[in-house]
Amino acid sequence: MTIGVSPPRLEAGDKATGRARYIDDIRLPGMLHAALVTSPHAHAKILGYRLDAARAIPGVKAIVTGEDLKGPRSGGIIKDESMIARQRVRYVGEILAAVAAVDGETARRAAEAIEITYEPLPSVLSIDAALASDAPLLHEEQANYIKTVPSGGHDNVVFESSVEEGDVERAFRECDVVVEGIWDTQAQHHLYLETNGCVADVNTAGRITLFATCQSVHHIQQRIAEELGEPMAKIRVVATRVGGGFGGKHASNIHSIAAWLARQARRPVKLTLSRMQDFEIQRSRHPARIWLKTGARRDGTILARDAKIILDGGAYTDESPAVLAFALLMVRGPYRIANARARGQVVYTNKLRAGSFRGFGNPQASFAAESQLDELAAKLDLDPVELRLKNAMRPGDTAFGGEVVRSCVLTECLTRVREAQRRAAPLPPRPDRKRGLGYAVMSHVSGLMGTAANVQLRTDGSIALATGCVDLGQGSDTVMVQICADALAVPIERVSYAPQDTDSSPYNWKTAGSRSTYMTGRAVAVATVEMRDKMLEHASEMLECAVSDLELRPGGAIGIKGVPKAIGFKEIAMRSLYQAGGPIAASHGFVFDGPGFDPKRASIHRLAFANLGVYTFGAHCVEVDVDEATGAVEVRRAWCAHDAGRAINPVSCEGQIQGGFVQGMGYALTEAMHWDDQGWLTSVTLADYKIPGVLDTPPEINAIVLEDPDPSHPVGAKGIGEPSLVGAAPAIANAICNATGARVRQLPMIPERVLDAIEWR
Amino acid sequence: MDYVAPQTVEEAWRALEAEDARCLAGGQSLVAMMNLGLVAPSRLVSLRRIASLRGVATEDDGSLRIGAMTTHAELAALDTAECGPAVLAQAARVVAYPAVRAFGTIGGSVAHADPAADYPVALVAADAVIEVASATGTHRIAARDFFHGLFETALKPGEIVTAIVVPRGPKSGRAIYEKLSLVAGDFAIISVAAVVAETATIAIGSCGPKPLLACGLPLEPGALREAAAKLAAASDPPSDHRGSAAYRRKVLPELVCRAVRAATS
Amino acid sequence: MSNKLAIELNVNGEPHDVLATAATPLLDALRTGLGLTGSKRGCNHGVCGACTVLLDGKLARSCLTLAVDVGERPVTTIEGISQNGTLSPVQRALLDAGAIQCGFCTPGFVMALTELFAREPAPDREQIRAALSGNLCRCSGYVKIIEAAERLAAAHAGEHQ
Repeated sequence: MTIGVSPPRLEAGDKATGRARYIDDIRLPGMLHAALVTSPHAHAKILGYRLDAARAIPGVKAIVTGEDLKGPRSGGIIKDESMIARQRVRYVGEILAAVAAVDGETARRAAEAIEITYEPLPSVLSIDAALASDAPLLHEEQANYIKTVPSGGHDNVVFESSVEEGDVERAFRECDVVVEGIWDTQAQHHLYLETNGCVADVNTAGRITLFATCQSVHHIQQRIAEELGEPMAKIRVVATRVGGGFGGKHASNIHSIAAWLARQARRPVKLTLSRMQDFEIQRSRHPARIWLKTGARRDGTILARDAKIILDGGAYTDESPAVLAFALLMVRGPYRIANARARGQVVYTNKLRAGSFRGFGNPQASFAAESQLDELAAKLDLDPVELRLKNAMRPGDTAFGGEVVRSCVLTECLTRVREAQRRAAPLPPRPDRKRGLGYAVMSHVSGLMGTAANVQLRTDGSIALATGCVDLGQGSDTVMVQICADALAVPIERVSYAPQDTDSSPYNWKTAGSRSTYMTGRAVAVATVEMRDKMLEHASEMLECAVSDLELRPGGAIGIKGVPKAIGFKEIAMRSLYQAGGPIAASHGFVFDGPGFDPKRASIHRLAFANLGVYTFGAHCVEVDVDEATGAVEVRRAWCAHDAGRAINPVSCEGQIQGGFVQGMGYALTEAMHWDDQGWLTSVTLADYKIPGVLDTPPEINAIVLEDPDPSHPVGAKGIGEPSLVGAAPAIANAICNATGARVRQLPMIPERVLDAIEWR
Repeated sequence: MDYVAPQTVEEAWRALEAEDARCLAGGQSLVAMMNLGLVAPSRLVSLRRIASLRGVATEDDGSLRIGAMTTHAELAALDTAECGPAVLAQAARVVAYPAVRAFGTIGGSVAHADPAADYPVALVAADAVIEVASATGTHRIAARDFFHGLFETALKPGEIVTAIVVPRGPKSGRAIYEKLSLVAGDFAIISVAAVVAETATIAIGSCGPKPLLACGLPLEPGALREAAAKLAAASDPPSDHRGSAAYRRKVLPELVCRAVRAATS
Repeated sequence: MSNKLAIELNVNGEPHDVLATAATPLLDALRTGLGLTGSKRGCNHGVCGACTVLLDGKLARSCLTLAVDVGERPVTTIEGISQNGTLSPVQRALLDAGAIQCGFCTPGFVMALTELFAREPAPDREQIRAALSGNLCRCSGYVKIIEAAERLAAAHAGEHQ
């Protein structure tokens, strides 16, 4: 059995020795280096470019600016971007021009020699400024943009949507207790250790090969094709080892530029971002303002929840409508609240685009929702865990939007962490510190969009597996191999796994949304079983018996039940190649096919997702120490229980839970991107942007993996990547309140904010 | 940019005569600034090979003379009962990270004078003296007069910090260095160095362009808090993303009281 | 035009010649000059620790070390840690504990743990955390990295009984 065990990751040895190849490790003969010119203005018309000084520098081989673009706008859900800024810049850091030269220094000098003249325009740098009636508009042509989903956009509003069930207004009137509040969350940066980059090469026929640290080779290929005006057959994208993604590398910002330069120069071009550039150019998490109101009866039954969410989307749409969708779907929480309404907007501002980031709207929504739940408990004079247990979803209940959730272990997750904390030896108190305990629950999904898997039997009976799922470090390569090997009862060494390459990998939407183990893993399982069935057919002919008489034998053989006689996979392969049937292979692809939302139950307006599901549940319990004189918060211990459906690689599940929790701690306590009043990002180095280090992280983050198998997956697996980040901030906020009585409603909860809340309690 | 590695301070002075020449000590601040494009010296004068800049020795009056090229790691390992050097050793232990402490030097840190750095605060509390040498001679400047502002010191062009001399401090005195930071290893939001005998000498860091100093503070908790509050009210801390000026003023008195309490317990 | 200097470096026990300017960090000399791409650039200003090497046996940020200033002091990089393709005990421990996710920080952590275990065969948790305090990881939350080090420390302690 290769499921439920934790073999070392396939590529861990190469990572441990420094042999693993990341994008900046790639060097091709004749390779040029790219340098970028980025906007110093938050909002400006581009009046003109002077390139002659740059062109005159020896060693400069290609230059591209927005003047070279002719095609329509590109982008994801709303096509409001282009490969490089055209006619207007909309945020400080937006790429205006790119140079490829024989070395990095020459490229930088040439970039500095490019003169661009601007007419600065008034800018908007906040949600309020963007929504003001006289606000300057970022996208005047908005109505003409191609939209893959109707947007409801107008002025600086990119997108509007809502989800509603029941009758909130009536329900609030029936409540004995109502709480209301506003929460503000900040822009967080993914801070993958490896900055974004790519290497583009072009062959004699003009076909482009692009190596990239990315979350989807297929998506990058699609965007390059769109932006260069080439058919996808002329573009090949190959994934290198990825040094972290977390959503920040899901889309294309720099790839088409590198491809364009390579095509112009007829030489390979490397374009890698420095840490400063990565902060300024890529994407952030959406800052959010959430107004939330929750009402309950005296006995703790929650009757109604009403939310308004505004996301600050930055200068371009990116995945904002989808992030909004998630925030709206998750803000009700995993509770049986019959009357709930969530309305939301995304606004344009002259800042870095906000886009996908682990949690995808759920961290923002849950920070408000789970914090307010504790406030409700306090007002009802009920224990916060008991209040949650009383209202928690159970199997057969519906998620917000009406999808029936057949498997739900939320109450188990919550009682497990409570029990674990109670059983643990108490930590001795510290002088000058108040101890607090806080809880939060969360729900997320594991299934969306499309994927496929290809599997083949080799001549020697070993197996070749290929998917389009890029491993960002979460361990999907190993998990896919484990699933495949398990279906054939062979050790994992018998299965090879192909790198992701659009020339040979089957389609996968993206490594995102905690979907890889459920979606691609399901495709792998089904394809492998299909191939196994073909092998059984062969074996039945070779052994002259019925297929129903056969069984898989561990180690790569098929035999007759109750009889030692068996034939090895190699023999079956040989027969197929030389005698009958032909090479044995199978493929399975599907697009998420869950039950979907229920329009009889929920009124859904313009949700950017057609269908998503396979809900997972989790609960966190956190102990903190708060220094009431300075507001400093230290997380002492945490228990994080999450349902993985079926833990294919339990150690990898734990690693994801622990890593997500710590990334959530950074979101909760120390991380924030700051812009000044000119729209310049001021936190552009690791000296300013602080993520938790070893000494900031509790030594004890107890990852508890529950298994409540999903029936739609052949081995029951669900996703685990995002939920643990979601619960960290509200659990910590609740623990701070438990310790001090102070409620902090703004992230990050730096010492000053906590101290202010303490003084205001 | 050119690079020279003199063997003596005399050679170093001559090398520094070039325009826009800078000393390279441990490189932990200078090279970071070069990598970020903040400085681009025309000449780097490495002090690494100059033996006279190394070593820690006790002077006749019991003061510790610390060569400018002594690393934070070497100072952190100082096992001393004297409160002057002790406050310095404590500061050395919390500078940045192990790799930075392995190569960063006290001379480099002192000459750099980042208001959020740890050494200047400890040196001011300990009433240390900075020994500075140039082609025209050697002289000593009190730490309390040395740090002028953001990256500004009393150093004149052509002068090199050659040693830091730390007096023993009051007999049976106790010393402590504490810092409040957002994450471990970060620059301080606010830091406190306290040398405590019959009264307390307090230096505060990250509360202005140079360390704040208050001498002769009473030890009685109520009076100390009052004195610290006056110090806070008179201070001019920065506002940045780590905390506002108001916040720094607010927490200063409590941190001073805690430091003195820790030193005397 | 920056003038390139011919620099001699002793890397992983072998002498190497590399061309670099006075401003070239050791990290670049290793990665570009010598093709030793195991040391990673995560920030280029000395905070993340992905570039960590051993310089004269001490932990050093190769992005903050100028190649020209290294001199005769020996440099050890991640490429010098495993012997003949066999993982060192530190590397093995990280692998076995499931402490490696995206792997970009891993070479830096290997160097930091190697330096720790060289001077302290059975460090306790505090010593381990202090030794790793200058290395950032965004994937793991550090828990399994610490566990790997604790297991190795326990194995060493067991050996000496």
